[in-house]
Amino acid sequence: MALKLLLTLIIALVTGLFFLGLSRKMIARIQWRYGPPLIQPLIDIIKLLSQKSMTHGGLFNFGLVLSLAGSVILLLFIPLGEWCIMNKSGGLLVIIYLMLLAPFGTALSSGAAANPNASIGISRKLLMALAYEVPLLLILLTLMTYYNTISISGIIVKQQNAGWSLTILPLLLSGIAYILILPAVLGIRPFAIVKAPQEIASGPSVEYSGKFLAFAEIQHAFQTYITIALFVNLFLGGASNPGYFFLKMLVVFVAGILIHTVFPRFRIEQAIKYLWRWPALLALAGLAVVVILDKI
Amino acid sequence: MNLVYILAVAFTASLLVYLSGKISKTLRNFLAVLVSLGMAASVIYLYNHSFAIHLSTGFPDFPLVLRINTLAWFFALIISVVGVLTVIFSLQYIKNKKRTDFYFLMLLLVNVSMLGIIFSGDLLSFYIFWEIMSWSTFLLISYNRGAAIAAGMKYIIMSLAGSAAILTGILSLYTCFGTLIIAELAGNLSLTSPAYTLFIFLLFFTGFGIKNAVWPFHSWLPPAHSEAPSPFSALLSGTLIKIGTYGLIIFFYVILGMKKFIGLKYGFFNLQYMLCWIGAFTIVFPTFIALLQNDAKRLLAWHSIGQMGYIILGIAFGTSTGVAGGIFHIFNHAAFKGLLFLSVGAVEYRTNGVRDLNSLGGLLKKMPVTFCGALIGACGIIGMPLTNGFVSKWLIYKTLIVEKYPFLAFAALLGTWGTILSLYKFLHNIFLGQLPEKYKNIKKAPFTMQFPMLVFSLIIITCGVLPGIPLKIINRIITSFGLKALDISIWGVISETGALNTVNIFFALAGAFFIIWLIFKLWPKETKIAQADNYAAGAAVPRDKYNYTVNFYNPLYRMISPCLRDFIDEFYIRLAKITRSLCNSIKLVYNGDTGYYIMYIILFMTALIFIQIKWSIW
Amino acid sequence: MDRNQISKWIKSPVKMGHKYSLHAVYFCTGCGIIEIPPSITARWDAERFGVIPVATSRQANLFLITGYVSLKTLKAIIRTYEQMAEPKFTVGFGSCPINGGMYWDSYNTIKHLDKYIPVDGWIAGCMPRPEAIFVAVTHLWTLIDREMADGYKRYRKNYKFYRSNQEKLYGKLEWPPLFQKDGAK
Repeated sequence: MALKLLLTLIIALVTGLFFLGLSRKMIARIQWRYGPPLIQPLIDIIKLLSQKSMTHGGLFNFGLVLSLAGSVILLLFIPLGEWCIMNKSGGLLVIIYLMLLAPFGTALSSGAAANPNASIGISRKLLMALAYEVPLLLILLTLMTYYNTISISGIIVKQQNAGWSLTILPLLLSGIAYILILPAVLGIRPFAIVKAPQEIASGPSVEYSGKFLAFAEIQHAFQTYITIALFVNLFLGGASNPGYFFLKMLVVFVAGILIHTVFPRFRIEQAIKYLWRWPALLALAGLAVVVILDKI
Repeated sequence: MNLVYILAVAFTASLLVYLSGKISKTLRNFLAVLVSLGMAASVIYLYNHSFAIHLSTGFPDFPLVLRINTLAWFFALIISVVGVLTVIFSLQYIKNKKRTDFYFLMLLLVNVSMLGIIFSGDLLSFYIFWEIMSWSTFLLISYNRGAAIAAGMKYIIMSLAGSAAILTGILSLYTCFGTLIIAELAGNLSLTSPAYTLFIFLLFFTGFGIKNAVWPFHSWLPPAHSEAPSPFSALLSGTLIKIGTYGLIIFFYVILGMKKFIGLKYGFFNLQYMLCWIGAFTIVFPTFIALLQNDAKRLLAWHSIGQMGYIILGIAFGTSTGVAGGIFHIFNHAAFKGLLFLSVGAVEYRTNGVRDLNSLGGLLKKMPVTFCGALIGACGIIGMPLTNGFVSKWLIYKTLIVEKYPFLAFAALLGTWGTILSLYKFLHNIFLGQLPEKYKNIKKAPFTMQFPMLVFSLIIITCGVLPGIPLKIINRIITSFGLKALDISIWGVISETGALNTVNIFFALAGAFFIIWLIFKLWPKETKIAQADNYAAGAAVPRDKYNYTVNFYNPLYRMISPCLRDFIDEFYIRLAKITRSLCNSIKLVYNGDTGYYIMYIILFMTALIFIQIKWSIW
Repeated sequence: MDRNQISKWIKSPVKMGHKYSLHAVYFCTGCGIIEIPPSITARWDAERFGVIPVATSRQANLFLITGYVSLKTLKAIIRTYEQMAEPKFTVGFGSCPINGGMYWDSYNTIKHLDKYIPVDGWIAGCMPRPEAIFVAVTHLWTLIDREMADGYKRYRKNYKFYRSNQEKLYGKLEWPPLFQKDGAK
């Protein structure tokens, strides 16, 4: 059990860092340059961990540790292939709940940084979270109603019998809505509004140095892994062996990076308007369809 | 211990507190704390008792009944504990204001009358105590003068309208059944026609709904809670609005009865389902209005309305998990809303009355205990795991999802995210960010103010980690209604559908936090730098200008503030204006001039004489 | 470039980390700012060396002083340098930071930057081209390998010297001294 836990954490971290490095390499290649090696995020983290960091007080440390703990604990509820550590403890409902820990932790820590750039960044982060939560909650509720279960492993098993959720007709609207909000949840362009280096001097991480920045990078890696894994498990069928699982995650991530490379950044009002218009309407329609089908 | 003695002693002791204030301030403070502690102690002593006392007034048809059962004990416990803690908090808070004896008298009177409402077993004593509570609340809301008088006016007018509705309902029930005792009324309503049930239902829903601040009746709450003195705001939000819920529970589950309530249909309209939707709307709409507020107490007041929506949703839903979640949320909301209002009170006390979110900031280092209290209260109201808000909200969500009501579940979940945003704005604009120059020398909150906050935080965390303790009592309440009992252990609820295993979640979260904290500490120690040593693009940090608090959610504000005006409030104000202009036009006739009145009398007499002469009617 | 040699990573990961992940604070001093965008964009790609610009001084460990330093800019440079996390490296571009360069007789520029903040390396030129910047980066790697890039240690040891020079220039400074007498922060 402890071995499974450790392996899940290591695999998630390695995959997350690999995705971050892959994104930098791909963006570089698309822009006709060579780009850093694939392990560059790891080199960055090694350097950051060996720097002498500066802190603004107890709440600064506490918030960062809370956000990383929030991401790690979310990891335990998402199946990886056939493993799922906390299988019996609530599934999707708990995930909906624990999704709020990571932004809240970052919010507390950036608030303690006492920098207006951090405050602007964190207000943007919370607004983005509110904006993509509206369609995301509708989509997750649709899945819970259609499959009549709140456990993700249960949903994976049902998909293995009936085909991917994306191909099931009543869930098609929700699937399209999820694809439309996936860049927002991942935080890649056009929704890279929170960490806007050129506008608000890195937003929440403006005062992070040394190990704080390392922890923030690790949390970003975990969060990328969690988001893509959730999408693959819910809509693309999960997978019973990890290799196939990673292949699916890779496909989703590469698609995201291709969008990321060509888009500029939205303003926060444009992002909220977008996320509350078409994806929310599609998700609402999807939920209505599933509920009506359920009553019939 | 006899309930009559408790109430009588408490009443006289409140008057005694007022009189002793004329003698000495310390004596009055001591007596006030003693009285409230006495009430709390006697309530705790009455644990597990269940009896009723009949008193007779002169009229044989109207005995006064005082009774206690688990439901009453639960509410009485909340009221007395919150009462004690607010009295302790007010000792320092009210020190420099005028008419402090009057304040303590009214505070204790509100507490005692609320206890009286809870303990009353027949509708007459219920109404008597309800009225005492209403006017003493009014006097205390307008304690601060100035803008508080208008707020108190709004409150008392709406409250009187509600009381009139309740009185009509009580009279109607008496004429129909001949008795006012709640235990005898129980189940009788199912024998009458559905139209009569609907009539009684509407009357009582209006009356209790106004006190409970459900959506159409909520507009008295924001001004009243923000203009009242802060410890009394804690009492208001924590317990007073729950009295409306108590009335609704008594009506739905005791008078109306479980079976009648669940299937209450009128043609297409399922009344129970409509109540759930009113609750859902109350969750979403006021929580988002709270986002846009700039006054700390107004933000919390709008939040109270939102959390009431959760309670109404849980109670109206009718399943055992839902009702348990709703009743547990009553307890939780008293704890964290009380805590939040008390922390605003502490900040207000130290900054001489400033509670404008746009001008505070950075008080984290100066008032750390207050901040911890506000943080734990915020975590509770958001529903973070390890706090008790998580358990009650979880129960409500689970029942909504398992019973296949995804739209209601969506409204409830959206309320949580609105709560996160507005509570973060609250925390950030008061405690985080840079410290303005003028608050550089603020001292910490005094101990009598820190102590209630510590007690509330302890309650929140203990009932979060070990929710079995309150859930045992709530189980007894819902079995007395006729619902199935929940399957609980000390750690939480065990059930079959995708079990809530709070144990696992708590331990996983605590373990993850601990391990990461360990890794964090293992690395070389970080250096602590001053708040003013901040990135400012190479410049020295400009004093007092380096804080971002004004218009904290500006993009969202611009987008949604046109749609988020308080329509109901504008409707009521319009109604008041129309009434006033109507009365003004009547004043053209009744204009107070005796000459006109004599003219009216003479004209009328002439008309009567003329009719008699012409047609000889009489 | 010995980035691929695993044995070196295992032996001294800290040094390798500092070498191959130099985050430059995006500070635009003088004439040299025109040379920075070409070196970080597609034609002369700096990211393949691990050098990327970051937004704040807290996240950076490389400081490029790209040209002449006027009196106003020096205040910002000192502030930014003190806010960076240790270990940090400074590189001066062109001849102006070395000895005043083209503005050797101006009343408003600093002639010897080394008196106010420690500098690890200089790049000759007026302005050096991107290729010269990359040669300088590889030289910085060699210095880090041999532990000779110790500007931050010199700053800590001789803080009295640097601080008195800064105060001679500006009078009273708006920020308190960074290090106490014994070198602790």
